[in-house]
Amino acid sequence: MSRARSIRSFARGLAVLFVLLVPISRVAAANEDALDRLEETLTFATPDAQARARLSGLIDLEQYHFQLPPPGVIRATGNDLFTPRLTLFLDAQLGSQLYLFAQARWDRGFDPQPAHGRVRLDEYALRYTPWPDGRLSVQAGRFGTIVGNWTPRHGAWTDAFISAPLAYEQLTGLWDREAITNPVALLRWSHVRSGLPAAITAREKDLRIPVLWGPAYATGFALSGDLGKFGYAAEIKHAPVSSRPETWEPGQVSFAHPSIGARLRYRPNAMWNLGFSATSGTYLTPAAERTLLPRHGRGDYRQITLGQDLVVAWHHWQFWAEVFEARYTIPVVGDADLVSYYAEVKYKFSPQLSAAVRWNQQLFGEITDRTGPVTWGKNAWRLDAAPAWRFTPHTQLKLQYSLQHGDTGARAFTHTLATQFTLRF
Amino acid sequence: MRFRLSLLLPLLCATPASALAQAAIEGRVTLLKTRSAPVMNKRYEIVAKGGVLATNPPLAVVYLEGEFPPPRVPPLAQLAQKDLAFIPGLLPVQAGTRVEFPNFDDLYHNIFSFSPAKRFDLGRYRPDEKPVPSVTFDEPGLVTLRCDIHEHMRALILVLATPHFVMTDTDGRFRLGGLPHGRYHVRAWIDSKTTTPPRAVDLTAGETIRVDFP
Repeated sequence: MSRARSIRSFARGLAVLFVLLVPISRVAAANEDALDRLEETLTFATPDAQARARLSGLIDLEQYHFQLPPPGVIRATGNDLFTPRLTLFLDAQLGSQLYLFAQARWDRGFDPQPAHGRVRLDEYALRYTPWPDGRLSVQAGRFGTIVGNWTPRHGAWTDAFISAPLAYEQLTGLWDREAITNPVALLRWSHVRSGLPAAITAREKDLRIPVLWGPAYATGFALSGDLGKFGYAAEIKHAPVSSRPETWEPGQVSFAHPSIGARLRYRPNAMWNLGFSATSGTYLTPAAERTLLPRHGRGDYRQITLGQDLVVAWHHWQFWAEVFEARYTIPVVGDADLVSYYAEVKYKFSPQLSAAVRWNQQLFGEITDRTGPVTWGKNAWRLDAAPAWRFTPHTQLKLQYSLQHGDTGARAFTHTLATQFTLRF
Repeated sequence: MRFRLSLLLPLLCATPASALAQAAIEGRVTLLKTRSAPVMNKRYEIVAKGGVLATNPPLAVVYLEGEFPPPRVPPLAQLAQKDLAFIPGLLPVQAGTRVEFPNFDDLYHNIFSFSPAKRFDLGRYRPDEKPVPSVTFDEPGLVTLRCDIHEHMRALILVLATPHFVMTDTDGRFRLGGLPHGRYHVRAWIDSKTTTPPRAVDLTAGETIRVDFP
């Protein structure tokens, strides 16, 4: 399909979406009070209110238009993709010490893809906080990683963008189901050599992993606490932050090669929030065992990631930034390093209108092959811009335009348009 | 008798005339049975403090309807954010009142309203920020306040076109004093969907009448 035709097709889709949104948002506005009442109806409490629970949720309608190959972790063979999603949350407080939460989703796959809809239980965890000052909490279950500062705001309602930052979705050349045996293989997997057929690029997309795969809902245990201006958290999970969603399923849980992570938070006041994270774990799945080099185990193929993050907020401005330095220790090949970072700013013009801009970049280090030092991946940058309009406190429309350079197939640049309508209840 | 009157006269002169003309209404409003028990979303607030948020018992507002002049000096009221809750959860004010929103927590809140009676977004401001952010509520109506950061936080400001109003206690009892004499209507606001029909009252200086809202 030509570019002009595909853009016309997306514009038509957008127009249809807008036509649908007008009555939807009008109905939502007229029933604002009803949605508030629904929230109250979905809140349950014992007579003494010591045990209480709340069901809430999001309905997302997402439409993507992109140039092939699809960006990030999107899987598609065409230029357009529609992905509806229903998310249900349970938050339960049992006295002042026990907190239980769960998240269930119906969608076409954790990452946008043209698959049949199915239901998943993405998160479920129990947290015990023995002291009221929050100096210590213990948590067990399946939950988002403590590493970085994007996971706490990755939901469709709270994230200013539709897609995740580059570090959380841009695929590296590493595969998690097969071990690398020499530098040439890594360079081939990274598509550093030009002229790869598009079919291979598309096929290998399913094999590659990013630095962090979204919120990384792996299973494990966490400790955390609040010590005045400082906060801490540590986790042990069955899979690393780069693990793919399929490995988070209960049947895949094994602590034979756990991933560990820690985070320190310094908040001098409400305006500033600085975080330091570190995590280490093998990036290979058990399926890679058959491909390991002799006398090496999966534990020898490690991903060690350091992260620094910053949040600054003042009046109607919000600023986020994260830097990740990842090192992959690979027998025979050596250390393969990369840096991925983003800076994001959002401004609220009114209760309804806001806009955000994000700059992302991923830079690869060098490994040594027969020809000498060579960059082991394709450097990439991406610029995202996203205006958002809240029709009501329960309905929101986001648009996003992204321009990417690097690791974009045969093109120097790719353009992605996306729109997302969210109803919160 | 002349002696007694001469004794009472200075006392009568010292009493403000307005007080002599004041009437009062007392009674009871049948409140809703529901009791709001907010549940905080702490899924990713992994270093958040523990605890159970305070419940909000249902309350009602009783007010006198009539033609009253606007306030000469804009009244001032406060609605605070403390322990991740709005305090009070329901605030009746006269139209023209400026409401301050002090933040007594050591973290950010972001108050906003989409209500037609007043649409605003205060943004994020530090607890020690001066002047304390405030909004003047000019139009009568119901304003729902929310926090953009803490989705469980909710409060109501009931903006009334009268200076004569009072909130009930948790049993629904109220006493609305300092009222002018004359014929008026009295109503009770019970929740966002329920305001009682107006009840005609004849107020006489110095008298208290009883009105119940079943």
